[in-house]
Amino acid sequence: MVLKIFFPQCCNMADSGLLVGRWLPGQESAVVLAVIHYPFIPGQVKRYLSDLQRESQVELSVLGSWSMPKEGQEGMESFLRDLSTIFPQGRWLQLSREMGKRAFNCQVVQRDMGAPPSAEDENCNGNGKGGGVILIHYDQRKVMLSQLHPTEGGAGGGDSATGAEPSQLRLVFQTVAQSQPLFFIDKYDDSPLKLTHWQSEGREASILVELAKQASVPLCLLLTWLLSLWTWLCSSRILNLWPVRFVSSKFSTCVQLSYRAEHLQTVSSPRKASDHREFMRKANIFVSFFVDVALGLLLISWLYRENRIGRLADTLVPVADHVAKELQELLQWLMGAPAGLKMNRALDQVLGRFFLYHIHLWISYIHLMSPFIERILWYVGLCACLGLTFALSVLSDIVALLTFHIYCFYVYGARLYCLKIYGLSALWRLFRGKKWNVLRQRVDSCSYDLDQLFIGTLLFTILLFLLPTTALYYLVFTLLRLVVVLFQGLIHLSVDFINSFPLFATVLRLCRPYRLSEGVKFRVLCEESGKPLHLMMEINPLRYSSVLQLYRTPTYSCYPKDSWMALCRKLFVGELVYPWRHKSTKTD
Amino acid sequence: MGADSGPGAPSAVPWRKVLYERQPFPDNYVDRRFLEELRHNVGVRQYRYWPVVREASLVAQQLSCVAVFLTLWWYMYEGQLSPFMLLLAGLMSALLGYALYEALGGSTDGRRTRLADLQSAAIFLAFTFGFSPVLKTLTESVSTDTVYAMSAMMLLAHLVTFPYTQPSPPGSLSLNAALFGSVCLASRLPGALHTFAMLTCALLVFALWPCLLRRLRDRAEWGFPWAAALVSVGGVCGLASQSPGGALLLALALLVLILLCPLLLLWLQRHKNNIHGPWDEAEIREDLSRFLQ
Amino acid sequence: MMGQRRTAGPTASFSSKTKDGVAAGQQDSTKHNICMVSDFFYPNMGGVESHIYQLSQCLIERGHKVIIATHAYGNRKGIRYLTNGLKVYYLPLQVMYNQSTATTCFHSLPLLRCVFVRERITVVHAHSSFSAMAHDSLFHAKTMGLNTVFTDHSLFGFADVSSVLTNKLLTVSLCDTNHIICVSYTSKENTVLRAALDPEIVSVIPNAVDPTDFTPDPSQRDDSKITIVVVSRLVYRKGIDLLGGIIPELCLKYPDLQFLIGGEGPKRIVLEEVREKYQLHDRVRLLGALEHKDVRNVLIQGHIFLNTSLTEAFCMAIVEGASCGLQVVSTRVGGIPEVLPEDLITLCEPTVSSLCQGLEMVIARQRAGTVPPPAAIHSRVRTLYTWRNVAERTEKVYDRVAKEVVLPLDRRLVRLRAHCGSVAGSIFAFVAVLDFLFLLLLQWLIPDSLIDVAIDASGPQGLWGQRRARKRELNANHHEGTGTG
Repeated sequence: MVLKIFFPQCCNMADSGLLVGRWLPGQESAVVLAVIHYPFIPGQVKRYLSDLQRESQVELSVLGSWSMPKEGQEGMESFLRDLSTIFPQGRWLQLSREMGKRAFNCQVVQRDMGAPPSAEDENCNGNGKGGGVILIHYDQRKVMLSQLHPTEGGAGGGDSATGAEPSQLRLVFQTVAQSQPLFFIDKYDDSPLKLTHWQSEGREASILVELAKQASVPLCLLLTWLLSLWTWLCSSRILNLWPVRFVSSKFSTCVQLSYRAEHLQTVSSPRKASDHREFMRKANIFVSFFVDVALGLLLISWLYRENRIGRLADTLVPVADHVAKELQELLQWLMGAPAGLKMNRALDQVLGRFFLYHIHLWISYIHLMSPFIERILWYVGLCACLGLTFALSVLSDIVALLTFHIYCFYVYGARLYCLKIYGLSALWRLFRGKKWNVLRQRVDSCSYDLDQLFIGTLLFTILLFLLPTTALYYLVFTLLRLVVVLFQGLIHLSVDFINSFPLFATVLRLCRPYRLSEGVKFRVLCEESGKPLHLMMEINPLRYSSVLQLYRTPTYSCYPKDSWMALCRKLFVGELVYPWRHKSTKTD
Repeated sequence: MGADSGPGAPSAVPWRKVLYERQPFPDNYVDRRFLEELRHNVGVRQYRYWPVVREASLVAQQLSCVAVFLTLWWYMYEGQLSPFMLLLAGLMSALLGYALYEALGGSTDGRRTRLADLQSAAIFLAFTFGFSPVLKTLTESVSTDTVYAMSAMMLLAHLVTFPYTQPSPPGSLSLNAALFGSVCLASRLPGALHTFAMLTCALLVFALWPCLLRRLRDRAEWGFPWAAALVSVGGVCGLASQSPGGALLLALALLVLILLCPLLLLWLQRHKNNIHGPWDEAEIREDLSRFLQ
Repeated sequence: MMGQRRTAGPTASFSSKTKDGVAAGQQDSTKHNICMVSDFFYPNMGGVESHIYQLSQCLIERGHKVIIATHAYGNRKGIRYLTNGLKVYYLPLQVMYNQSTATTCFHSLPLLRCVFVRERITVVHAHSSFSAMAHDSLFHAKTMGLNTVFTDHSLFGFADVSSVLTNKLLTVSLCDTNHIICVSYTSKENTVLRAALDPEIVSVIPNAVDPTDFTPDPSQRDDSKITIVVVSRLVYRKGIDLLGGIIPELCLKYPDLQFLIGGEGPKRIVLEEVREKYQLHDRVRLLGALEHKDVRNVLIQGHIFLNTSLTEAFCMAIVEGASCGLQVVSTRVGGIPEVLPEDLITLCEPTVSSLCQGLEMVIARQRAGTVPPPAAIHSRVRTLYTWRNVAERTEKVYDRVAKEVVLPLDRRLVRLRAHCGSVAGSIFAFVAVLDFLFLLLLQWLIPDSLIDVAIDASGPQGLWGQRRARKRELNANHHEGTGTG
């Protein structure tokens, strides 16, 4: 089998020393994490390694020796070879590099085979059967920070079920990520050991980040306390009465409010995120909330300037009037002979007058409210400071309130039509001499009495001839209702979008693509005969579509409840449709 | 066994109609007992002319009923008959019919009492009277041609689906079709009372008359042809008073139905060729629903 | 006329007294390329399907090349291979009703022509009158000049409108088919009458049953009671109403009687109502739909197998029941009297009283212990019907058919008009002409020489058999080579 050695790029020019890393179990590979330079005391090295092993849960060990002889340092090879006796291993790697040459030399000594370490061993260098070494160079910092997708735990459904073994790549990434304690000692520390790794030039940190980290804990505690207050308020007896709950579930503002509270709860928990997914989710929520509030404040600043609110309020009443007038004209048209259809005049008049009266009531109500509208709008607009999503939800609710009469008309029309359709189908069965068997859920034949037949036929005739009238009213009002629903749906979709879009993950993918990786690709660095193959491992960043799919915050997504076919069937039969459905609401 | 063998195959072993034995005959062997269980025309009825004519008179009678109804409607439409007159006549004939029905034996099963009958009648009348204004406006916006076409189709459906073999509980589809057609026609009349009268008439002609006729047939066999003849003559005459052409057509149709069609049936009966054999699906002759009662 | 088509001498008729295995004189007969066509095939399970499969397997064993063409079942489209290289074409044709394809007489010609040409088919064997694809394929095969054989599996009536039309279509379809196979003598009479055929071209080759699938196991049944097993679809044709009458009568008379009913269908309600009315929940068990592999396990739990069908061409169920060692009681309808010898079956009239009488006789015998043991019954039944025998007889049909000439178009039109009546005959003669023109068009668009010849999986040049022979050879060589390893 070919032996694969993962070698960090930062150690390419390191001084000679010991290789510290991990043998991956089951695979013929090793990951080199750092180089310990001379002078060192073997006992200290062993102690340090065992300490680190305890701290980081990674089985670190000395893999072998690294020699890059500078001038005046010849004769190290034999010394390095003798080191293998001090650190007993199954296998001992001897990597060496000459100045000015690109390729390394590698020799593998199998300790347990009992063969003495010979100078030029044939079981390496890429030819011969059963041997061969590949050196894979990797950027240590990037691999340490990167997260391989699909993550374990089922995100994206990778093949790593709880029982299966993780793949080699995943083991490499895990090893480097978990060995963070190893990288704390840099060359400016005066510890007995001198290491070379990616951070050996000194640790970088930013003051802002550190301050933010310090400040975040008390902030989180404050937020948690506020939220608990809020939940206590919400769960109080008054607000849990059925009418209040019903009404609040219909208003999308309340829904959005509860939703945001939930989000804030996730963000404000003071403990650190346990794994990558949770971290990403917290970050996404935080960033989206932040952006939302910023946009909301922008909106407020624009809205409250130049008395726009007042102007809005002034145009609202005329618009409502205009809508009502249009509806009245529509009804007058329906009461005539619309489009040459054959309507039953009497029924027509009845229905038309009924709806006209409703509109009259509505207009009077609007006129009653008109002095207060500006005030109400002013206060309601303030809630946009909680975020743009709130502003949109409020808009949606206002639209729902203003078109309440259309909703009423739709319900009346639909109920009437539905009744008619059911009556007709039952009487049609009677016409043919059949009956619906409720127990067996099928149509059975039935012999009716004379009076039942007679009355049934009369009713059937009546309903059949009155059908076009009712159907037309139903059609018109359903269309109106669907227009309103469509508009509301658009608003909800945009709210949903703002809620669920993983902004943080996308920006991360844009700016630091190596942090979200899908896999790796290899590039051949140098291929010389007699020397092992050198490959460069580069990280493949995750595709944008996968980013969106994986990190989308789950929302009360606004999705159509029924498929198209079911929707059409419901419209045809006259059942009330609520095309948009929120996952969290229980009543519909 | 093989598919082919010579004509001189020793037939000492007779051929048996069994599959489980290997027989020394080829697979396509045709024995002289082939098709010996074939039977022709088992259980076929032989018709005679005059009884068939008698049965056919029921069909003719029903056609004439429709003609009578149409005549009455026509009179109302032309304004020559007032609704009061029709209602009165209807009431009288209903009482007469009821008396005749009781005289011929009354209801055999004893389930319906006189009170129940009265109740039914009251429901009919109340309902029809109550809904007649609505019924009148039903076809206002529909064009005349459509109304006539619909009614014609419905009355035709009534004639086609009428349960001639057992007219007493009237078949749902036929009765409903007739009523639907009469509602369509009745809504063309000038007043709500006209509509009410027409519907009552329709009920009498299409729903109650077949019951009486059936009772007549069962109890007083000799009276049935006279009743049928009366109705047919009435139909022809009625149509004749309004449209001679229609009357002629009706008379022709009746003649064809009563006289020609039985001849045709008898002639075709001779060509009947039913094949029976062991391959027929077995008929279950007994009444198996007794196990479920 | 009877002797016209006979060829070999009298000795040939007594040559095959063998039960299983290869008949004596078949070594150098020609091997045919056979295409079985039907709408009904795996993954649908049923009598016709298993008949086609078993027959094809035995024919492949005898060295012929067999392929099967059927319609696509859901996602199962294209070419699949079953055991021993049996190639199945799942053609994408639209299914209309009850697994039968919609037919326009023309639209399947390009596909079927492609199949027939690339597989170099010489005989087209269609199954089942209910299958529109079978009739289509016969039609097209005759247009293309291939020999045709048809197997009919069911009995039909004559009296109602649908039967009249179906029989007319069958007449048209079979009037120029080379040979017809029926599964029983009654079925032969029925088919000859329906399609006005010459009885000489109809052979009777019964179905068969795989005796290794249905072996008895008396340890599985409860000998303290007497169990009557019924396995069938619960439809009117199978006489479930009669069963609904038998159950209460017998259960009242014999307190130790049990009924085990497998199968599903619209008449299940009748049985459930009877069970509820007479409170027989512990004595009547309704098992619902059974998979084919579970049938044997249900059968061996019983002592008596009851069949109440109102019509059957050849009832395989009773042979399966007898093969599992059960006593068989059945109605005397259709081809059932021909199937089993008198000592293995009790026949009754299709009335409740007669069936009850028959059942009581058998119950008495069972109680007295005078019934033969299941193993004896099984060993008798095993030899009665075997698939190899069916294949041998079918092969003779193919041999005979291969020597016949297919009617060219003009004689075919004359025959259609003469044999099928003036109206139907003219219509179908017209359709045949159109079909022929369509075929010419297709042959001009894609000539036969351009169609690739498919690689045989079965048959004399079949790679399946060759591969296995080669593997055996290799194994043998390997064992020789590493003998001392």
